[in-house]
Amino acid sequence: MTQTMSQVEALLRALAERRAQPAGREWLARTAAAAAAGAPDRGALLEAFTAATRRLGRGQLAPGEDEIERLRAAGVEWPVAGWGADELGRAALLATAAAHWPSADLEPLVEECYRQGDGAERQAVLRALPLLPAPERFVEIGIDACRSHIQPLFEAIACANPYAALYFPELNFNQMVLKALFTGVALARILGLEGRLTPELGRMAAGYASERRAAGRSVPPDIGILTGGTLTGDQP
Amino acid sequence: MKLFDPHIHMTSRTTLDYEAMAGAGIAAVVEPSFWMGQPRTHVGTFEDYFASLLGWERFRASQFGIRHFCTLSLNPKEANSARIAQGVIELLPRYLSKDGVVAVGEIGYDDMTSEEDKYFAAQLELAIRFELPVLIHTPHRDKKRGTERSLALIRDVGFPEERALIDHNTEETLPLVLETACWAGHSIYPFTKMDEPRMVALVKRYGSDRILVNSAADWGVSDPLKVPKTAALMRESGIADADIEKIVWRNPVAFFGQSGRLDLDPAGDSPAIDQTQLWEGNSVLRGQQPVVKR
Repeated sequence: MTQTMSQVEALLRALAERRAQPAGREWLARTAAAAAAGAPDRGALLEAFTAATRRLGRGQLAPGEDEIERLRAAGVEWPVAGWGADELGRAALLATAAAHWPSADLEPLVEECYRQGDGAERQAVLRALPLLPAPERFVEIGIDACRSHIQPLFEAIACANPYAALYFPELNFNQMVLKALFTGVALARILGLEGRLTPELGRMAAGYASERRAAGRSVPPDIGILTGGTLTGDQP
Repeated sequence: MKLFDPHIHMTSRTTLDYEAMAGAGIAAVVEPSFWMGQPRTHVGTFEDYFASLLGWERFRASQFGIRHFCTLSLNPKEANSARIAQGVIELLPRYLSKDGVVAVGEIGYDDMTSEEDKYFAAQLELAIRFELPVLIHTPHRDKKRGTERSLALIRDVGFPEERALIDHNTEETLPLVLETACWAGHSIYPFTKMDEPRMVALVKRYGSDRILVNSAADWGVSDPLKVPKTAALMRESGIADADIEKIVWRNPVAFFGQSGRLDLDPAGDSPAIDQTQLWEGNSVLRGQQPVVKR
């Protein structure tokens, strides 16, 4: 990442503040300023992280062209249009901690935001993972989300998020792709998939297609992506 | 008429129950945290339990078009467990601030021990701190005395009565509750607590102000359709629709709405049913056609 953490932080906060009502904007500015100053206060940041939905609402981020350009310049090259205002605020708060706290204090914060989070809080952590410094240290959180049966949580890591392709070990990445196949997620939504295609993933996909055919069921139309085109799925 | 079941332990129920409830008109539920039929022995268990009420169960309900809210607490029975009680009280502030937590509860008395007194009061204080209503369980044994003690404690702590819902009322306890500004819940059970004809008689005598009914369905013999069944008998018995609607929808909405978190139509979370979010291989659908309603 060529940009510094504080530039990412400033950008996320500007986006969040632009979308917030005056009271929410004031809250975010005050909360971020408090988190940036003095010793890390994990309890206070956890509290703010939880309160973000009530403070900032759930409106869709839907960035404008200029905002997309600025995000891209800051290294956020993946789509964030589907983020909610609360997710953006939560990512901004994590970015504030990442920019101002000692690195060792960030890990327990991110871990607790996830472990003690409700569905929406966990999704926000997953979407923020690729923005954090040394993101590979949070790989267990990403892998945990792939074991969830809460589909929006799974999609927060599997779809429109570069994290898995960049940091997942091969086994976990392959399992995530197979889960996307059988939960009906279009493979085009998995960022970086083309760089993680392997013979092993192709073998697993072929096995899945064979199992589906044997059961008299349809095969996902895009399965050929995983097998170098040697398999053809069924048209929906 | 939309129905609200303000006390039901969905974690213990099946997807067939969710289907039947949605089919009978139930659009929203409140799931109070409670005990598991046997004592828990680790504080960490509660962390996972609270997370499942806020995560998985809410998602599961949404798949059937039902809004799921919860109330969190150390329950009266487990207040007596020295292994966990204080630890759960220390854990609660982290979870009471979550979206979708609409009260502190179930709290109250079981055996009416001094430990129960202590943690009942401590949780009334937590409700004040987090600006939440409270859902108060009344005991099965020595119920009238337990109700009187609960009302007295609310007064002693200075907890606002209009933010307290006293649950599992009977013919003997309801008048005590209605003398205060507290709200009165009634758990309609197949064999114990309260049944539909008795409930109809209570409504005819006391009216619909501050009166709620629930199924309190859990892992025991219970019926998740008791709210619609009670509403049906009230209608057959000549109780006005406006009163029925007040009891099965407007009262629970008004009571839990005091939390400021009873978000019945959140924008980021489609109220329509979309089971295509799930497909075979997960634990809600098992290969059948997903239901989509827009």
